[in-house]
Amino acid sequence: MSRVLVAMSGGVDSSLAAALLVEAGHEVVGVTMKTFCYSETPALSKTCCGLDGITDAKRVAAELGIPHFVFDVEEDFTRDVIDDFVSEYAQGRTPNPCVRCNGHTKFRDLMARGRALGCDRIASGHYVRIEHGVERSTILRGRDSQKDQAYFLWGLPPALLPRLLFPVGELTKPEVRARARELGLVTADKPESQEICFVPTGDYRDLLEKRLGSHPALEPGPVVRRSGEVVGEHRGYAGFTVGQRKGLGGGSPEPMFVLEVRPATREVVVGTRDELLQDEVVVGETNWHGPVPAVGDVLEVQLRHRSPPVGATVEEVSASVVLSLAEPRAAITPGQSAVLFQGDRLAGGGRIVRAGRTARVGTP
Amino acid sequence: MDPVYLDHAATTPLREEVVEAMAPFGARTFGNPSSVHRWGRAAHAALEDARAELAHAIGAKPAEVFFVRGGTESDNIAILGWCESHSADGTTPTIAVSTLEHHAVLAAAESAQRSGRARLVKLHVSLDGKLSPDALRVALAAKPTLVSVMWVNNETGMILPIGEVARAAVEAGATMHTDAAQAIGKVRVDVREVPVAMLSATGHKLQGPKGVGLLFVREGTSVAPLIHGGGQERRLRPGTEDVAGAVGLALAVRLAVQEMESEARRLSALRERFGCDLLARIPGSRINAGVALRAPHVLSVGIAGIEDGAALLMALDLEGIAVSGGSACLSGAAKRSHVMAALYGESDDHATIRFSFGRSTTLEDIERAAQATVRVVERMRAG
Repeated sequence: MSRVLVAMSGGVDSSLAAALLVEAGHEVVGVTMKTFCYSETPALSKTCCGLDGITDAKRVAAELGIPHFVFDVEEDFTRDVIDDFVSEYAQGRTPNPCVRCNGHTKFRDLMARGRALGCDRIASGHYVRIEHGVERSTILRGRDSQKDQAYFLWGLPPALLPRLLFPVGELTKPEVRARARELGLVTADKPESQEICFVPTGDYRDLLEKRLGSHPALEPGPVVRRSGEVVGEHRGYAGFTVGQRKGLGGGSPEPMFVLEVRPATREVVVGTRDELLQDEVVVGETNWHGPVPAVGDVLEVQLRHRSPPVGATVEEVSASVVLSLAEPRAAITPGQSAVLFQGDRLAGGGRIVRAGRTARVGTP
Repeated sequence: MDPVYLDHAATTPLREEVVEAMAPFGARTFGNPSSVHRWGRAAHAALEDARAELAHAIGAKPAEVFFVRGGTESDNIAILGWCESHSADGTTPTIAVSTLEHHAVLAAAESAQRSGRARLVKLHVSLDGKLSPDALRVALAAKPTLVSVMWVNNETGMILPIGEVARAAVEAGATMHTDAAQAIGKVRVDVREVPVAMLSATGHKLQGPKGVGLLFVREGTSVAPLIHGGGQERRLRPGTEDVAGAVGLALAVRLAVQEMESEARRLSALRERFGCDLLARIPGSRINAGVALRAPHVLSVGIAGIEDGAALLMALDLEGIAVSGGSACLSGAAKRSHVMAALYGESDDHATIRFSFGRSTTLEDIERAAQATVRVVERMRAG
């Protein structure tokens, strides 16, 4: 059997992934990534990437009788994920650091280190499946549609795919917990972590203030309608994301939503729910797991982690890809991911550069 | 095949004799040494016997030996306790430390500096083990001054010129402390020959128990306690004594000192052979601080062309060879070593492997280690 490197966060999913690989007879090596300096954050125990994550992963590895190492990726993580996170907000966009980390830090590092450690396979506890074909390997959505995480993996380098294993992708979350309990894993009932690992308090404004110092993104600016009418003031556009309703103040008969953030003028543009609808998406920094789509191809695109996919026709393929949606979607947010699927199969994705509405939706 | 443990500078197994000597203290001879009754007396007698045994082994008087809870605590009491007792009248004392010190010394001295309790001078050490004479002169010109220089460097095995520095310190009216955690039982350590005022060591580096250490404080040296409580250890380290630990530490030190000469000869020979083997078989490798005088139990090897030193150690572990890079940090993630940076500069591109040997190390161990190292380096260089 081959030697498998398994990324263990200290949560139940990756714990069971490791256990299943051991059960299957692989020689398993557990690793946990240390992504940032824990001494700079207060002693919170909630985050699964924190030091307690390392401790739990080590405990599980010891129970399973497998070696466990800590990969210190702080330098890469700070440059590729945290700096990017900050710079995206500074430019009025809404980043997705987990996508960025998977594509730029986590799996790249696992691949490089895995080679050094003589591991031919790399595994994680993501809820996805993978099909290893003769020509290429394809990631499929997880069997548990509630937990499916394919959305987060579009940025993985295609060269890595043939070496990946996702042992929990065929299971549902309740099944994972049940198996973990059966095996007596200490992490069996550990609560889910939802926060961004380097923002354990959930309030990223502190982080932006610390990293940006004084910056236009954190200074007050006007809240305007599309017409240019000023309807209020905000405390810094970095606090806003498209589709957001909170923090806009009342006074308007209809609920107002953020439509757009304009860093150049520090304007936050607001409007009605109907104004949020758009049917054209420009996607940049694309990455494809198989062949690059051609103009005219029809796929499904997922624009948020939890949102249902929508049919999309490829209109243009150049430095960026232009997609025309089969039906308009609300709150298409620059900086977030546009992830392309064919049914359950993950084709690739990119970062949303901007969105627009064609005549089909009409001018509000 | 059984894995090979070549990380004796990190910690060592308890030796059988020590386990046996410690066994009665706890369940049977469990008394509190401060109690007036027979249980107390028995514990007290064992504690003082251990103190005398330990004192004898390093050439000290029993009253100069204090039991503490490990090497880090010993270094902290020496540095911060001295600092405290020399700044009471409003003066700001100077602490001079070598750039190769263990974090227990470095971080303690830096904390004194940060809080404004002391001025800090760093003494650069050259690759051949010489301390920068200019920096030392500056430090010794100030009053009062504490000089803290380790006897044997834990990452490279370098032996520092403790006698020379201690004599210069005495001459200048300064106080000298040395961290001898890697020195006792490896090189000759006798405080009658070397005029250090304070010396720190720990049990677990020489097959004694973990969590127990010693602090030698020469008569007439003033040190304030860092924690407060009862009168144990003459108030320098209050708290009910760990009698079993003291007994174990004293015996481990005595045995290590007794066996020092023959063991040093044996390990030196193994180390030389191992070093030559690696140099011959791995192009672009070097013995770190190879020109310096080095203790016999450490061989630090630098390997060019390997960016990921941490992965090298992990790969060796998977091959069954247990070694270190620098010293281990809280999470077990390997960091660039301040010792290697001080010796070779920040931009040095060699990965470091520290092999360290002990009583159980055999020729077969180092042959297997050499083979595994060659294999892993070749694999990593191939990418």
